[in-house]
Amino acid sequence: MTHHDDKRELWIGWWTLVVFYNLYGLLFFVIARTQPPPSPSLDAAAIAEWFDARRYGLLYGYAIVSIVGGATAIMNAMLACSIRRMSVSRAFAYSYLVIYALATLPGMLIMGVACTVGAMRPDRDPALLHWLYDFAFLSFEGTMGVFLIGSLVWMAAVLLDRNGVFPKWFGYLNLCNALTEVVVAPAWIFKRGVFAWDGAIAWWINMAVFVTYTTVFLTLLRRMIEREDFGTGPLPALATGRARELAGTPGAVR
Amino acid sequence: MRRADGELILLWTLPVVGVVWLAAFLLFPGFVRPMSPTMSAEEVAAFYRDPENLPRIRYSMIVFNWFAVGLIPILALIVLQIRRMAHRTPIFSYAIIACAAGGPTIFLMANLFWLTAAFRPERDPQHIQLFNDLAWVTFSSQVGFLVAQSVILALAIYLDRQQRPVFPRWVAHFNLVVAVLMLPAAFVGLAMEGPFAWDGLLSFWVRNAAIGLWIVVMGVVLARAIAWERAEETPGP
Repeated sequence: MTHHDDKRELWIGWWTLVVFYNLYGLLFFVIARTQPPPSPSLDAAAIAEWFDARRYGLLYGYAIVSIVGGATAIMNAMLACSIRRMSVSRAFAYSYLVIYALATLPGMLIMGVACTVGAMRPDRDPALLHWLYDFAFLSFEGTMGVFLIGSLVWMAAVLLDRNGVFPKWFGYLNLCNALTEVVVAPAWIFKRGVFAWDGAIAWWINMAVFVTYTTVFLTLLRRMIEREDFGTGPLPALATGRARELAGTPGAVR
Repeated sequence: MRRADGELILLWTLPVVGVVWLAAFLLFPGFVRPMSPTMSAEEVAAFYRDPENLPRIRYSMIVFNWFAVGLIPILALIVLQIRRMAHRTPIFSYAIIACAAGGPTIFLMANLFWLTAAFRPERDPQHIQLFNDLAWVTFSSQVGFLVAQSVILALAIYLDRQQRPVFPRWVAHFNLVVAVLMLPAAFVGLAMEGPFAWDGLLSFWVRNAAIGLWIVVMGVVLARAIAWERAEETPGP
């Protein structure tokens, strides 16, 4: 077995993450066109028009979301593996895995169901379309705790870790991500302005943090896999070329 | 003598849960002849108000509410078998745990929508239709975790390179076929009639038959793997 083969499982996880996040952007922004989000202050007639204007985008887009949503399982498993490589208790990895496994539903799939149901019958009572619209966006933007606690678990693990799996500053970036879930809370109350679900704080700043955070952790994970030695001690620094090939591969760890 | 660790008890819950699921499926009047998405709001309301249907809807969905999570112990046994495979990381066993949390929750959500529709059938027919749509769309289209479960299991089996793999290779091929058979159901929102509609050949009959077949086949291969594992273990001191 070559060195490269050893890391095949980790690369499967990493590539799933990369493909998923690209698809996610494409599906939500380009195909379904539900991001950037429309205003919560639209009236029922305008919302009926909103559903009508992107009917097939919603139906095709969320059909694909409902399939690729399952990919989150292998992604969260990959992230849990990265926490497993740290010197901290396995409780951190297990907590992260379970929190993000259930996060997929309120954070993504419920919105797909609500948008599909809204789009499949354009002649539905506009008052009910209004409710589906609220349900879709509030579940998507307003699902906070899972990402809040999930990020804090990851932050604590990174800060406590002595194996150097991630740099310490990434721990604090997790805190930034956690804070976006705090400041989005007023989206449950305001229908206009910076705190509404389409506002500068609840959406634009949060999206900027989320994109930065995701790009950073994908890069760091890639580096982690390259450094992986399948040991339990400190993760070695990135070796180059021949040195990496010569490096031993100690037995698997469970 | 091997210690009684309870795995065989968990394994034997499979046929019990399978029979209960089948019974709930047959009892629910909306499945035996699946409800069409072309039904008007009035027809949907009439379906729930029908004194023949209403108790069957409620009882079947109460039973399903009890047993929707009934297969999680079986997935947990599959996780233990994946851990015996020749892998370098626990990524596949973790991923199946994530699927085990996600999949049954989807079925439970659909179940809640059906039960809510049946709770006050005298409600405005448009509202009954909304709950019924939410139930059917959730139940039919949300195949992601089921597809992922099969694909991950297949990958885990393909990468299990050892003298005697935990599951034979055909189980991986089988899981990929099952994953493909689930895909059309994701598109139920686009079709009111035909094979892709939620009462159609692909989205309803093929997909649900694939789920049933997966349960039977995986039950058998899991039982074999566990039996082999136990036979292989040397007696303790």
